[in-house]
Amino acid sequence: MRHELNAIMRGAIALAFGLMLVVGACCAEAETAAPPSGFGPPSAAPSPFGAPSQPPSAFTPPRAAPLKAPGLFGAFFSWVVDRQQTMQRELANGVKRLKTESAFAAAVGLVALSFLYGVVHAVGPGHGKTIISSYVVANEQTVRRGVIISFIAAALQAMTAVALVGVLAIALNATGMAIKSWTLQLESVSYGLIALVGLWLLTTQLVRLWRRWQEAGADPAVALPHAEHDDHPHHDHHDHHAHDHDHLPRDDHHHHHAEGEVCHHVVDAQAVSGPMSWRKIMAVVFSVGVRPCSGAILVLVFALTQGLFWAGVAATFAMAFGTAITVAALATLALGSRELALKLGRGGGAWANAVGTTCALGGSALILLFGATLFAASLGPARPF
Amino acid sequence: MSPRGLTRSRWVLAAALVAAGSLGLPETSYAHPHVWATVRSEIVFDADHRITGVRQAWTFDEFYTAMAVQGLDTNGDGVFSKTELEPLAKVNVDSLKDFDYFTFVHLGDDDEHNFPLKPPVDYWLTYDKSVITLHFTLPLETPLDPTQKEVQMDVYDPSFFVAFGFAKEDPVKLAGAPGKGCSATVKLPDPGSEEDAKALSEAFFSQLGPGSNFGSQFAQTAIVKCATN
Repeated sequence: MRHELNAIMRGAIALAFGLMLVVGACCAEAETAAPPSGFGPPSAAPSPFGAPSQPPSAFTPPRAAPLKAPGLFGAFFSWVVDRQQTMQRELANGVKRLKTESAFAAAVGLVALSFLYGVVHAVGPGHGKTIISSYVVANEQTVRRGVIISFIAAALQAMTAVALVGVLAIALNATGMAIKSWTLQLESVSYGLIALVGLWLLTTQLVRLWRRWQEAGADPAVALPHAEHDDHPHHDHHDHHAHDHDHLPRDDHHHHHAEGEVCHHVVDAQAVSGPMSWRKIMAVVFSVGVRPCSGAILVLVFALTQGLFWAGVAATFAMAFGTAITVAALATLALGSRELALKLGRGGGAWANAVGTTCALGGSALILLFGATLFAASLGPARPF
Repeated sequence: MSPRGLTRSRWVLAAALVAAGSLGLPETSYAHPHVWATVRSEIVFDADHRITGVRQAWTFDEFYTAMAVQGLDTNGDGVFSKTELEPLAKVNVDSLKDFDYFTFVHLGDDDEHNFPLKPPVDYWLTYDKSVITLHFTLPLETPLDPTQKEVQMDVYDPSFFVAFGFAKEDPVKLAGAPGKGCSATVKLPDPGSEEDAKALSEAFFSQLGPGSNFGSQFAQTAIVKCATN
């Protein structure tokens, strides 16, 4: 537990520090009131847009009719879509404001807005909600680990986006088409990796189950947890020992729960301790994180065209913080529903085993299925826009 | 109930609960648009007052524009000319083919039978006021007679990656030689429609698959009516 706490603290501090740095950098950038030489457009013009040499045009961009879908669901979706568009527009304005208004206030506003955008944006597909939720449920992870995984994955997605735009757009002056093509390829890689991770998880779960079955003889449902205990001498989760299947009376027959920790009732959290599980966690995080967040790429490129790339970087990390919170919340919900399923069994060993096995196999299979479906879909024709 | 039977029913319940938990909750996600496009269309008529095709002008949002034109100011003069944007226009139009040009022309409400469209005969991109507009003309394979039944045109992205909406002003115009008594209007989805809502719940559950049709619920329709002779 202490280890995890430290990891969270370190992560949070690192993230906060990084954000401060980035915000500081973008403010410093804004104060100079001119685009940074390294990142600005090659021309001497202050901005490639609305170039003063051009005669003013009579064109007014048309406004579209609001998007509306029928039904109760539809009303909700329409509202979310409308919010999404409004926020995106505000985000664009937030970047532009950095050049005009008080830079500090504008930067704080942009970071706050990006954070909110991230929270909402993560509800959409592509931020690892399903993968991470399935993983934590299948592998009996603690809420704490679910949160850590969500945050690392989001941070990685943000870094991928920054690296992609940084290298392609700034260093190579690649076109938007090239950036898009790279994004699509990274998406395919991510989905392929997710499918592989799912396959790996499913295989290890099946092997584990089969071993238990072997050790327990013909009746796995009864003997399962015991096999678990005998099998692993390094097992030291004392707070997980209070189980109704324990036949020896114990003094410490109560749970010690750290705040927010999920109680593992029957199948102990073997998989979460030891280097093996960290390897799995890293695999999950990497498979999700290798795909850059699409919202982040848009903000980064837009900020770049405004000559304020660092504002885009700040916005990206603030956004990642927001998506991490949503993903972590959903993973926690998934763990909660698993707990609920366990509680409904009123402590029955067979019931708990059923829930445990269903979670382990179902969760892993879901990751495999999800990754494979998305991978197949990502190989389809390239989108025009 | 035998103990075995009890175990099995519990298994099923456990499976259902976990499925609801791990699938249902996190999957209350929905496809959402990343690109916004405002549609202005011109319905083209030939001398015989038949519809031969449609001219599209799609204006994109500022974010997408920034992304799309990145690196295309090849001469570095700070202006995106038609020539500089030509490669982008070509990529857009070429890949639109795989998506049926997001344009679905049919008679009346019959959106099961869309009339085939030919590849655009002309296309170009303009850049103005920090947004780009894609112009292209889509010919129908066979001209349509709008006098028997109204002609409808939906413009939408089934996967809802792009959110298409008709312009508030002058969304649809008639061009060429429309017959007497022809008019064009835009129909937005009716938020109260029971039937559409049912279709939506189907779309909702299929949104993740490659054949997602989530965007159809937001589809806006241009309607061309001509008085019968």
